[in-house]
Amino acid sequence: MTSQHTSRPTGAVSQELIDRFRDLLGEDGLLYEPEELVVYECDGYVVEKKAPDVVLFPTSADQIVEIVNICNEFDVPFVPRGAGTSLAGGCLPVGGGVMIALTRMRRILDVNIRDRYAIVEPGLVNAHLTQHLKGSGYHYAPDPSSQGACTIGGNVATNSGGPHTLKYGVTVNHVLGLEAVMPDGSIVQFGGPTEDNPGYDLPGLFVGSEGTFGICTKVFVRITRDPAAYRTLLGVFETVGDATHSISKIIGAGIVPAALELMDQGIIEALEAAFQFGFPLDAGAVLLIEVDGLESAVDEEAEEIVELCNESGAREVRRANSPEERQLLWKCRKQAFGAIGRLSPSYCTQDGVVPRTQLPEILDFIADCGTRHDLRIVNVFHAGDGNIHPIMLFDERDTEQIGRVLAASDEILSKCLELGGSVTGEHGIGVEKIDFMNKLFTEDDLEVMSKVRDAFNPERLCSPSKMLPTAGACGTEQIERTHPGRRAAL
Amino acid sequence: MEDVTYSETQDDLSRLLKENAAAERQPIYPLGGGTAWQYGYPRTAPGKTVSLTEINQTIDYPARDMTVTVEAGIRMCELGNLLASENQRLPIDIPHADQSTLGGVIATNWSGSRRFGCGSMRDYLIGVTAVDASGRFFHAGGRVVKNVAGYDLCKLLVGSLGTLGVITEATLKLRPIPESTAVLWSSFESYEALDHALDRLTLSQARPVALDIFDSVAAGDVNSAMPIDLPADRPVLCVGVEGIAREVDWQVSTLEGELARNSVKEVVTCRNDRADSLWQSMTNYVTNVESPLVFRANLLPSKTIPFINEACASGFSIQSHAGNGIVLGHFRHELPSADEVMSILSKLRETAVQASGNLTVLSCPDDWKSSLELFGEPTDAWPLMKKIKANLDPHGLLNPGRFFDGNMPSEITGQH
Ligand SMILES: Cc1cc2nc3c(=O)[nH]c(=O)nc-3n(C[C@H](O)[C@H](O)[C@H](O)COP(=O)(O)OP(=O)(O)OC[C@H]3O[C@@H](n4cnc5c(N)ncnc54)[C@H](O)[C@@H]3O)c2cc1C
Repeated sequence: MTSQHTSRPTGAVSQELIDRFRDLLGEDGLLYEPEELVVYECDGYVVEKKAPDVVLFPTSADQIVEIVNICNEFDVPFVPRGAGTSLAGGCLPVGGGVMIALTRMRRILDVNIRDRYAIVEPGLVNAHLTQHLKGSGYHYAPDPSSQGACTIGGNVATNSGGPHTLKYGVTVNHVLGLEAVMPDGSIVQFGGPTEDNPGYDLPGLFVGSEGTFGICTKVFVRITRDPAAYRTLLGVFETVGDATHSISKIIGAGIVPAALELMDQGIIEALEAAFQFGFPLDAGAVLLIEVDGLESAVDEEAEEIVELCNESGAREVRRANSPEERQLLWKCRKQAFGAIGRLSPSYCTQDGVVPRTQLPEILDFIADCGTRHDLRIVNVFHAGDGNIHPIMLFDERDTEQIGRVLAASDEILSKCLELGGSVTGEHGIGVEKIDFMNKLFTEDDLEVMSKVRDAFNPERLCSPSKMLPTAGACGTEQIERTHPGRRAAL
Repeated sequence: MEDVTYSETQDDLSRLLKENAAAERQPIYPLGGGTAWQYGYPRTAPGKTVSLTEINQTIDYPARDMTVTVEAGIRMCELGNLLASENQRLPIDIPHADQSTLGGVIATNWSGSRRFGCGSMRDYLIGVTAVDASGRFFHAGGRVVKNVAGYDLCKLLVGSLGTLGVITEATLKLRPIPESTAVLWSSFESYEALDHALDRLTLSQARPVALDIFDSVAAGDVNSAMPIDLPADRPVLCVGVEGIAREVDWQVSTLEGELARNSVKEVVTCRNDRADSLWQSMTNYVTNVESPLVFRANLLPSKTIPFINEACASGFSIQSHAGNGIVLGHFRHELPSADEVMSILSKLRETAVQASGNLTVLSCPDDWKSSLELFGEPTDAWPLMKKIKANLDPHGLLNPGRFFDGNMPSEITGQH
């Protein structure tokens, strides 16, 4: 075997290939005209752009098997795509080739309350499952802020989190099994509706593999009992430091809230302009805190949190007094990115993680970094998990600013590593952060990961050049960052 | 068991494996507390047994981050004590905690009653260091609770039975120790009545963290081990709850009402010491019972009752983590012939497979193992697992032949 990380040139998409796909899927099952392909040239990570040669819309796993077989026959790379909300360039068709869009496979195949699972197709929009389950007493717990658009297949591929991850865990904690079309065209089911199937935990390994292990065609998800009650609080603080101090206190006191989100002054300003919620514009930071569980417990926990916030110098702690007020607070939080447009023509969101006790340190560093690079940086993030999302505001027409944004991003992520954290808590490595992999992992670690990938995807035709760095890369393989993403998530 | 080598540090272990890979290439049999020694196929080739029990340091315990990094040879009770000093825990119930090591628990993916409410090892292991067969260290995950950088080899190593790497260090996510706890139990005239009660509990107003069943024989065993009078002539359901005191009180009274609406013989609530001893029995039962043949089946929760019925009729006593569809069976008679056992097990296995699950033999006489499929009915994912094993351990040095692939027919392995 040659070096683990080298890649090879692959075949081109020919007319013959297009004809084969048309025979398989029909005329409305594919797009190949350049103007139609523009939409698919990037996902939520807009720095790198590359249109696929053809986008396919299969409606069944059997069709995907055929597609993959044809790709193998013609030696053409292929990449799966859900809703395209990824923020790390996971959907970028590096080297061109075939994009397999899963959006027409969006059925809920089964819901079983007694056995606490649902079986869904990968193109199902995350929020649609929870909507479907409404009234059953159960819900699907992972709730990325993009849940109104992103697909469960995409969540599986990126191991998505969300505000309620703190208590309920990320996607992998809710995936029991899946079916996938392997890069060699075989269909395999890992796990299923039952737990602890003998052998290696392949569903666990597949989740978070960012499309490099195959195309997920069916997901067996765990559904979770609804909480009986919520208490949603808004802690208002003079400074970010006071807010992070109370986070440490809350976690230190052994309370695990359902969600614990921090928004600083910059973001509050934008949110207030957008939603007129009544956020205090002069506060240094607010904490959106939710406890859930049994009616008999939530008040006591909420009281304790209020006390801890007050001890850390909270100016006041407000409560959502009605379900409508709670909904509005969450709407503000989940749509915060939309509000940022009011602050700046462009922005770039980073995704880093630090141990939660290091939040004061990283936030100071971010503030410093902003000053040093003369950049405005605002923060809205999953504070309970230590998962930061600094948002750098800039004007993309100004290349000099772009350079500063990139430099600041790198410094912040490097600082996360220095503090014992990671460069991505939920958005993934994709193509965006591939350069950080050898800072996070040793060469041996990467070699082992590469061997694991080879068990699934030895030819590397499936989602090439993602996740693991490609040594000795050339041509299209070399991912150059031109300018940072503008849209991005919180 | 032959001579055991005790590596004192992770580096020692790495050196030993490196030397072995460079020279004699003997099979390596990693050993933790030795409590699961029976599990898996017996060795087919002599090799080096390497104990991890001296690799047991606490690397970092930032309690306020609710994570801990320890070496894998640490005993579970020691880890438990360490965490309890900060009022925290790893909420996974482990029998023989004085002996079993964290590395062993990860490698066997052991879990117990609380998995219904708290999950299992895959939900807590957030970072791992292991040594591969060539003596090379590899890592995955990290020390933070949320991290999606790189492939999640933590998941791959949980339950891998030492076949992919020798786990030397682990970072765990932790939980606070709940303020209060209680266990309620009820016995039932029939399994149908019990099944009906379980069905209703799906929408209970309470949020139990454990739903365990003992059949009448197992209930008798529990009785003899602790001062609680479970009836020993009918099945018993134990429902565990945890949380702040007020929440536990509320759940207890709610569940008392809910359970009483079924055709139960009684509803008994255990608090304080009595709750503790019932929790302990639920945790330790699996290893407390002498039995020549023990299995674990995993099935749909809704199919556990018919399965339990069938297993009891075949001579097994039963503990089931019914909310998760896990059933542990201990054979309670003199062992009949190997053929007869095989036919009993294959019938049970078929029932489990029909219920979307499988059946794993946890222990049986060694000389039977080669004719039993210990890890159940092969599935179409097994060849891929074989490939992973072959890629990570190309010379087949780590626990060779002891895991699911130990008895794999050649048409599945692709080898002839
Ligand atoms: C406004 C906004 C808010 C966001 N908030 C969050 C958040 O709170 N938490 C969070 O974790 N993320 C968040 N994200 C990021 C993104 O939404 C998630 O990564 C999401 O899981 C992507 O889903 P998708 O369907 O859009 O996948 P895509 O972007 O289409 O694809 C993502 C990756 O998955 C692969 N993939 C897609 N489908 C399959 C399949 N069926 N089989 C195999 N591989 C597949 C793709 O190849 C790609 O690598 C946010 C993004 C935006 C734009």
